[in-house]
Amino acid sequence: MKKVISLLLISVMLFSTTSCGKKADESASKSDKEGTETQAEKSGKLTIWAWDPNFNVAIMNEAKTRYQKDNPKVEIEVVDLAKADLEQKLHTNLASGVKEGLPDIVLIEDYNAQKFLKSYPGAFADLTNKINYKDFADYKVSLMTLDGKTYGVPFDSGVAGLFYRTDYLEQAGYKPEDLNNITWDKFIEIGKKVKEKTGKAMIGIDPNDGGFIRIMLQSAGQWYFDKDGNPNLANNAVLKEALKVFKTIYNSGIAKVTNGWDEGCKAFNSGDVASVISGVWMTGSIKAEASQSGKWRVAPIPRLNIEGSVNASNLGGSSWYVLDSSKNKDVAIDFLNSIYAKDNDFYQKILVSNGAVGTYIPAQSGSAYSQPDEFFSGQKVYSDFSEWMKKIPPINYGQYTYEADSAIFALMPDIFSNKLSVDDALKKAEDQLKNQIK
Amino acid sequence: MKASKILKKILVYGFLIIAFVASVFPFYWMITGMTNSSVDVIKGKLTFGDQMINNLKTVFNSYDLGRIFLNSLKISLITMVLSLLISSMAAYGFEFYPSKHRDRIYNIFLLSMMIPFAALMIPLFKLTVKFGMLDKHIAIILTSIASVFLIFFFRQNFKSFPKEIIQAARVDGAGEFKIFYSIVMPSMKSTYAAGAIYSFMTSWNAYLWPLIILQTDKQKTMTLLISSLSSAYFPEYGVIMTAIVIATLPMIVIFFTLQRHFVEGITGSVKQ
Amino acid sequence: MAEVTKSNSFEKTQNRYGWFFISFALILIVIFLLYPIVYSFYLSTTETKGMVQKFVGFSNYARLFKDPMFIKALKNTFIFLIIQVPIMLFLSLLLATILNDKSIKFKGIFRTGIFLPAVTSLVAYTILFKMMFNSGADGMVNKALMSMHIIKEPIQWLLDPFWSKVTVMLALTWRWTGYNMIFFLSAMQNIPDELYEAAEIDGANKAHQFWYITVPMLKPTIVFTTVTSTIGTLQLFDEPMNLSTGGPSGTTTGPGNSLLTLSVYIYNLCFKYTPKFGYAAAVSYVIVIIAAILTVIEFKVAGDNNESK
Repeated sequence: MKKVISLLLISVMLFSTTSCGKKADESASKSDKEGTETQAEKSGKLTIWAWDPNFNVAIMNEAKTRYQKDNPKVEIEVVDLAKADLEQKLHTNLASGVKEGLPDIVLIEDYNAQKFLKSYPGAFADLTNKINYKDFADYKVSLMTLDGKTYGVPFDSGVAGLFYRTDYLEQAGYKPEDLNNITWDKFIEIGKKVKEKTGKAMIGIDPNDGGFIRIMLQSAGQWYFDKDGNPNLANNAVLKEALKVFKTIYNSGIAKVTNGWDEGCKAFNSGDVASVISGVWMTGSIKAEASQSGKWRVAPIPRLNIEGSVNASNLGGSSWYVLDSSKNKDVAIDFLNSIYAKDNDFYQKILVSNGAVGTYIPAQSGSAYSQPDEFFSGQKVYSDFSEWMKKIPPINYGQYTYEADSAIFALMPDIFSNKLSVDDALKKAEDQLKNQIK
Repeated sequence: MKASKILKKILVYGFLIIAFVASVFPFYWMITGMTNSSVDVIKGKLTFGDQMINNLKTVFNSYDLGRIFLNSLKISLITMVLSLLISSMAAYGFEFYPSKHRDRIYNIFLLSMMIPFAALMIPLFKLTVKFGMLDKHIAIILTSIASVFLIFFFRQNFKSFPKEIIQAARVDGAGEFKIFYSIVMPSMKSTYAAGAIYSFMTSWNAYLWPLIILQTDKQKTMTLLISSLSSAYFPEYGVIMTAIVIATLPMIVIFFTLQRHFVEGITGSVKQ
Repeated sequence: MAEVTKSNSFEKTQNRYGWFFISFALILIVIFLLYPIVYSFYLSTTETKGMVQKFVGFSNYARLFKDPMFIKALKNTFIFLIIQVPIMLFLSLLLATILNDKSIKFKGIFRTGIFLPAVTSLVAYTILFKMMFNSGADGMVNKALMSMHIIKEPIQWLLDPFWSKVTVMLALTWRWTGYNMIFFLSAMQNIPDELYEAAEIDGANKAHQFWYITVPMLKPTIVFTTVTSTIGTLQLFDEPMNLSTGGPSGTTTGPGNSLLTLSVYIYNLCFKYTPKFGYAAAVSYVIVIIAAILTVIEFKVAGDNNESK
């Protein structure tokens, strides 16, 4: 009896493996055909990992609907994960060399792009000749390029802006023009006046967050590393200046000290601060407090008092990548290409419904971008952001941004309390960083 | 004498009430959060609002909550039952059948409990994929039923079990398994209750491993849902709190039911 | 002669039962725990950058002691261990003793309430703790302390390296006291009532009974909670990660990395920085070595013994 059962089992297994083999053959021949006839209808399943249900997940679902109109046979599943979770999953899958668990398309934060590309060579599909990169903002394309090959499809921009409360600034005697193209020194000066006249802090500052430093560095076309990717902290004039400005803001009394994202949001939602300097994606959180409508405007960010620094920079942002192991690689690329690199109307839609500013330049002359926004006193904020986006200096973030951030900020309490001078701290941080990335 | 007794009572209850309030306050806040909008939650509102219906609607409409909840429940209950059985059996084997070899194995077990899970994730992941268990609940159940923590816990508790009772049962001709399930198990109810609470709670809250091994939305568990909910650039705290309250209820039910067993101990049932 | 063979065969069958009872657990643990452990030990002797792997012997271990980040994490972890664990376990034992007393009313409610923190979602309580321990004058705890005139200036709870550690210890104690209490409570059921009755007759007061009956009788459970709390603290991750700014993507873990623990460092090495799984595995084995030493000490101090006599 037992023998009969095991024979049955074996035959079932054999049968199923052979039929699997057939299927694989079929799909292989199918994709061959697709390769030759580009007109052929696409089919297959795409799994996509993204992390924000109200933002990139929702946007990807919009893209899905659009693509499926022309390609009803393509099945698309967008999996919603926390950002840190997504990165953990991706690392575990890639590092263990197991292909089964990987998605076809994945969202990666721009600061992490080089890290993934360098750590897992061959894991991501080379898109150099598949996407027309000329249509995207320069800075965005350069961060996803490694050894002359470009890998991702650019998605949202983190173009930075200085959001401010017109009512508080007016009380302190400033008009909107006074905030255009200022330096950080001027910003601090204005802050002191605002504090004096209104009692409100000029800005919220999180002493453990590297955001400000990154904004300042990129505004001068600099980063924590030199062109060859070696740590450049101790002799980096821009970084020194940035840290000094950061310290001055912290110690000058114009800042409200906050801890973490929620407290940061609370500071501006409850009207405790007169301004916010952040990426364009902060717009949604600012507009969440509807009672403040008409009291906000946006200006370009302040520049450093250093040659080469401009009033434009970036914070955050992310892009889509296709996994090279994907069974439906061609479909995945076609999907991204036909929506994210061609569909102008798509970008208008996601700007209106999700507040997402893409880096696809042709979209920026679209109707949604030139709409005045009542919340921002009728300012055409998105066309302003688009203008600033073009001025963001392109830089290479390298693969060790978080290591560098951590090395510097570990010493921040000592810098604030004058236990360490900025110069000494940067020397120490550079040693630590070199040891870390060895 | 009487006055000092009353004073003592006041002290004891005072201490209990402080501990109780401190413990329950965050939970209370969570429930108020369920009835408020996100902005109110961030501002630290401590009173009940009127957003509960909206929040519930959002949770139930945007996610397949029933399925996710049942996934978690299924995994946790199966793990709990199997893990209590297998771990307590192992602990029984270690404690009541002394042998040098087994003690060495026991010590290796204890040692293995000390390794951070993050260090084991990659090899474990490779292994489960090889077994074809990717995106399957069984991958979570199988890896957690033999719990060193529980084996250790049961063994420490078996130490206080009178060995004479077992000897007496053997003399009476009871088989070894019978001794285990009809004498030892029933008389250690409070230990099993505590073990069950621990086991249920651990697998209900399990996060890292399900995150790595589960791939599709239909396999998702409650913890994964809550984590992805709270990851938004602009998190909907009212909705998050609603999901959290729903996710916490089963653990409270389990605890409240099982803590009753903390009154009837070994002596009561053995004496009968 | 017949006697000897009989007892021999008894021992043999006993031994077989012993193996049978542990067999299921043994098989599962060998596959799902010991195999990955051996593999990760092998990893700890390699240098990995993502997929690129190279055998380096013990140089990862040698490198640890020159790594200031690791030393900082080690120090922080030890501070949590030495201060927080004893306080928490004492509180748990005290609460369990009180809640085991038959004369206390509403025991079920008190027990459930005090256990609640252990099941309260991490997401929820970190949001709340961050709000309560807000460093401004409007933070709930600061407000309360100031109105009671205990402090004059608001305390910089999560923004100061010292106070951020205090906050995490408070959070840990809050979360795990009720949890450890249940192990004590369940073990207390195994103490025969006669012992207390006899002591009562001898005129021993409650404090005496606690020290001379409860504590010695609970020794196995005290060892258990001490060992598991030690291991738990050596692997401490959730609280420092979530209470510090920005969570996993934050720049540092706590002000000046004051909350960086060994487990957080392992996480950073694997998932936040350019992945170095080999080095991360080496850090894990340092945790194992420390935990093993402490466990042996804890067993020895308690006079508890797992070796067969």
